[in-house]
Amino acid sequence: MNVKEKLKRVLIEDLNLEDLDPEEITDDMALFDEGLGLDSLDAVELVVIVQKHFGVEIKDMVESRPAFQSINTLAKFIEERMS
Amino acid sequence: MRIGIQGVGLTGGFGSGVDSLQAALQSGKVVTQQREALHNGEVDIYPAYLASLDRLEEFIPKRALRRIDHCSRMTLLAAHLALQDAGMPESERSRIGVIIASGYGPLQTTCDFLDSYLDFGYACSSPTHFSNSVHNAAAAHLSMQLKTTAPSLTVTQFEMSVPSALLTAQQWLIEGRVDRLLFGAVDEQCEVLRYCRRQFFAAGEQGPLQPLAFSTQSAVVGEGAVFLLLTRDEVAAYGHIDEVRLGNHSVAPLSLSDDDLLILGADGHKECGRWYTQAARGHEVAAYAPFYGSFPAAAGFDLAVAALSLRDNRLYPGLASTGASTLTAATPGELNGRKLACLKFGSAGEYGLTRMSR
Amino acid sequence: MPRFAPTAITGLGSLSGAGLTLPESMESMFRGERHPHPPTRFSTDHPVSYLVLELRDSFKLPLDESENIYSRTCQLAFVAALEALTQAGWDSETLRGKRVGVCIGTTVGCALNSDDFYRAYKEGSHPDIRIMQRFMRSNPAAVIARQLRLDGPVQSVVNACSSGTDAIGIGASWLRADACDIVIAGGADELLRLTYSGFSSLMITDSQPCRPFDVSRKGLNLGEGAGLLVLESEAVRGEKELLGTVLGYGSACDAYHLTAPHPDGVGLKLALNEAFTAAGVTPADIAFVNAHGTGTPDNDRVEGRVLSEVLPGVPFLSTKGYTGHTLGAAGGIEAAFTVAFLQRGEIPANIGFTDPDPELLSTPVTGNTVIDGTIALSESLAFGGNNAVLIFGKGDH
Repeated sequence: MNVKEKLKRVLIEDLNLEDLDPEEITDDMALFDEGLGLDSLDAVELVVIVQKHFGVEIKDMVESRPAFQSINTLAKFIEERMS
Repeated sequence: MRIGIQGVGLTGGFGSGVDSLQAALQSGKVVTQQREALHNGEVDIYPAYLASLDRLEEFIPKRALRRIDHCSRMTLLAAHLALQDAGMPESERSRIGVIIASGYGPLQTTCDFLDSYLDFGYACSSPTHFSNSVHNAAAAHLSMQLKTTAPSLTVTQFEMSVPSALLTAQQWLIEGRVDRLLFGAVDEQCEVLRYCRRQFFAAGEQGPLQPLAFSTQSAVVGEGAVFLLLTRDEVAAYGHIDEVRLGNHSVAPLSLSDDDLLILGADGHKECGRWYTQAARGHEVAAYAPFYGSFPAAAGFDLAVAALSLRDNRLYPGLASTGASTLTAATPGELNGRKLACLKFGSAGEYGLTRMSR
Repeated sequence: MPRFAPTAITGLGSLSGAGLTLPESMESMFRGERHPHPPTRFSTDHPVSYLVLELRDSFKLPLDESENIYSRTCQLAFVAALEALTQAGWDSETLRGKRVGVCIGTTVGCALNSDDFYRAYKEGSHPDIRIMQRFMRSNPAAVIARQLRLDGPVQSVVNACSSGTDAIGIGASWLRADACDIVIAGGADELLRLTYSGFSSLMITDSQPCRPFDVSRKGLNLGEGAGLLVLESEAVRGEKELLGTVLGYGSACDAYHLTAPHPDGVGLKLALNEAFTAAGVTPADIAFVNAHGTGTPDNDRVEGRVLSEVLPGVPFLSTKGYTGHTLGAAGGIEAAFTVAFLQRGEIPANIGFTDPDPELLSTPVTGNTVIDGTIALSESLAFGGNNAVLIFGKGDH
């Protein structure tokens, strides 16, 4: 499973978005507000998700803001740091 | 000043909604569930009164529940049922005060939070579990769902949580801080709690629950949530709360009126039982814990039973197995305008007395 | 919303990282001292070490040093209660026969939060059941009532970080209702690995000393302690010296988000309005504001903006730099501070602040500042969108 697919699956599981199928989350869909509808509490949970499932540490929210736009940007952020 | 009870909503071992409670009281039947817990390679099977959340999606869309834990879900269901029971339209909810009593708060969510860092390291501590483990999370979710900006309060006083919080609820209404108030109580069952109770009480937790057998440990764990919609109105759908008194019987003995008809918060805990035998001697008493189990918030269910009894002008029978007693069990039947008083004792003699009338 | 008569304050008690008594805390704050450091009472494998403010090493728990019987939180509450009661001239003997209420705010004081116990349980061994027994006894309001053998209403308020402020407002209302003659009210909380991990996970803790209202603020430093007031009915107080008065209390819920404050401070403004009405005062009467000022970007932004709008030009400070954020204790500690500042006629510097944040439209006091007036306000913002405000009047001297 590639990073994007895994990311969608763990988002649904760990953020309890059970009413969604992974296919319904598109790669360029905004994660916050309109789009997936996540909020500030999800943002910090997302930091834990990225650490727990990908072993990638995010030290502060300012650093992560550009990565937290969409599945595309977050997957790219993770891939760069995993390698 | 008297406080009117305009609506009752609850969920517990007997089902959801005031009709379910009434049906259980009328039929004298309630079924505990068998739970299994695995600890240290040993299977522990025990009875428990567990709350149903079947009706929650009538009130709240599934997506809105995604970050809301079991304790808060029971809270939301019971509160919405109380509003529905009172016929309170959505347009009038923006200034409803919220006061919640909980003996233990969201126990399971606290464990979930501890799991997050004990299993995966401190860097994986879950902020979502942490935020929901704070004791006022249920009240916060309720205020958000109702969009009410009115004052909100959560009280944790173990066995005394309900009468203690009710004193402040009464005061908020009397002083006009709020015109309407959702007063509730909630506690959840959790395996760690069961483990501890088993260590403390061993076989005393296997039931059946005999609330008036004061020298026997017969508590059976339960969970649930109950809400009363309270106002200052003279006209009340159920009845009125006339007085809330708190004190400690071991410091200054509680004096009851001769004609007090008591609903005891006795729930099979021997440690608390002795206080009832001391303070309530010579009084007619009833106890309803066998309908919902033993947990601190159950004192709120006693208030609901009292409210229902006042509305129906009828003292409901307790279950046959209330147990032999040194006190006089009240005869079920018409109340004929008699008042009721809910009496709850904690283990150190602290008490809460709530006098209620039609 | 109604207006109420003032409630008499006859005793004050406080302990925190700023000092083990209220007078000691006052002296150290006006000297501009603070002592944040990494936690010493527990360890974690956090990659970053966040600073906290603990009680000084020399502090000894009074009831049970080993914490087998009562939690640290309950004992901190008891210490502050004794300080306040002694000042008010009470002890357990003279309180006998009085109707005495206890209303204490806390966050962790009555939660099942022993990770040692839970870890052992998870590992399948039989954990020390005494920890559970301690939990069943450890409710700060109940412990004070039990230790002093009091008869009256007992309540632990668990409204997260506004608990201490709410508890004092509720305690005052019990006196008005004649539910008791004397109330011991305030807040208490110990510092635990659980809260340290929780706040770290929310990414609102600072690895540097916190900087309330500063443009570079990064988050809070956690603290521990207790702050309690003795409130008395006029009949009981008689001729006893008045240290100050509770003039008004207000609270409101944002109904917006579990952890984030409403960006426009909706609930805070409602709480302020209720407190002004209850006290019968206007913003122009306020000599200074003891702000919540945790040092988190969100809290200080909302609070700074609301202060600039509702109380423009009124001097304000956060004492969190001296005490850390003591959660449920904060409202109690800061109530004691606010009354003591009024007595002294001076407030200390908002330690940690150097550079203004243009987004806030307001700046706290940067040095010890003489105040002009007899009325002050203390506010608390909390998880769950709770906002609570107390207004205090100056006492006899």
